[in-house]
Amino acid sequence: MKPAPFTYHRPETAQEAVELLAELEDAELLAGNQSLGIVMANRLATPDHLVDLGGVDELVGIDVTDDAVELGAMTTHRTIERSERLATTLPMLPAAAEQIAGPSVRNQGTIGGSIGEADPAGNYPAALLALEGTLTLRSVEGIRTVPVSDYFIAYMFTDLREGELIERVSVPTEPFPTDRTGMTFLELKRASQTFPTVSAATAVRVDDPSADEPVVEDARIALANASDVPLRVEDAESTVEGEPLSSELLTEVAATVTDAVDPEGEMHADREYKEEVAGEYAKRSLETSYERATTDQC
Amino acid sequence: MLEFTGENEMEQSKEELWAYFTDTDVLASCAPGCKEMTLQSPHEIEAVMAVGVGSVKPEFDVDVVVTAAEHPERLEMTAVGHAPRNEFETTAEMVLEDNGDGTTVVWSATADVSGTIASFGGRALKSVTNRLVGKFFADMQAKADEGVEAVSELEAAPDDEPAVEDESAASESDD
Repeated sequence: MKPAPFTYHRPETAQEAVELLAELEDAELLAGNQSLGIVMANRLATPDHLVDLGGVDELVGIDVTDDAVELGAMTTHRTIERSERLATTLPMLPAAAEQIAGPSVRNQGTIGGSIGEADPAGNYPAALLALEGTLTLRSVEGIRTVPVSDYFIAYMFTDLREGELIERVSVPTEPFPTDRTGMTFLELKRASQTFPTVSAATAVRVDDPSADEPVVEDARIALANASDVPLRVEDAESTVEGEPLSSELLTEVAATVTDAVDPEGEMHADREYKEEVAGEYAKRSLETSYERATTDQC
Repeated sequence: MLEFTGENEMEQSKEELWAYFTDTDVLASCAPGCKEMTLQSPHEIEAVMAVGVGSVKPEFDVDVVVTAAEHPERLEMTAVGHAPRNEFETTAEMVLEDNGDGTTVVWSATADVSGTIASFGGRALKSVTNRLVGKFFADMQAKADEGVEAVSELEAAPDDEPAVEDESAASESDD
């Protein structure tokens, strides 16, 4: 099928884009066009106007400052996947990016598009929740910032208001000193290049990586496709904080996560299976993060 | 058939709240995605509402019939909505109960949804609906806290009135 007729707009600045959003009735933003085009071709979505952000250069790029990493909304998965600075400072993000779909999607798809779509199976939503990112949103009324933890509200339903554009996401790096932090983004997929059955994003900071039994100072555990929104499991995090990671604690983490998740059954993976596998993947992901924190790899 | 239920605590008494839940101007400003709302008669409302999941946001023409309005305790409505390639039918009930500090609103609804929006599945629709209902009550609470003036406008349809399905025939005879 072909999409219903629409008028195409291609602004060159973020300000122009939000002015168009304010002025046009029934307009939709287009980022990398790896989801919306399909939905429109099936005539599930029929916006009268498309505002393509492909020409807004100011929304592209990765900026690493002393205490934060800022990613422009139109930065592609490929750029994030291949960024050496991210591989050093926040390796969870390249790990999340490289596991999205296939190469052609990663060349075009963007982090802002993924956050805007808010699919609970999406990689960045879970990763950014674990990393306590903050979104900068722009409208004609100005700029506001929203913590990722407040942004995802229900299934594909977010705090993004009519006329708002996701400008960038900022992640603080202070909690993750590279010499004693490990991060992992672990996905279970039924086949390559498909949506994950479940994903577990974890980060671990230890007190002293050279100690015999390094103590976990800070743990982050978030899951994708395990609820109607990306899900952080703070009860499981506090289980392992303040002690060296042990197999007993890991078993406890798996059980806590299995209890906390609320997944929807799918054709290939029923609810019970997803609950169990969410716990198991949280455990494996956390274990790998701990290993990375206590050795010299990040 | 989808079933929804929930409870919301509100601060005012049920007598005070009744006017808010039965004033179409207040309902229009609190109802999610409501673009227009017109009171056709004390028991018939016409509305235009854009609600959906993600970028799938059909705009529904909604006809509402008030089937019970027992001041200040119970309100029941049926509604049918039509949008291109989407339809829904719902019956919703709301019961106001004294809880000592204010009022507990116990609500329930059953809905038949068909068309593109139904392809997201029941869980996704429930997730979004629960969020929208929560927002509706929060907005309603804010109106009541502000003390916005509200006038009760709704009454139950007489028993001999045709049901909502036959409404087109009824409105033709009005012309």
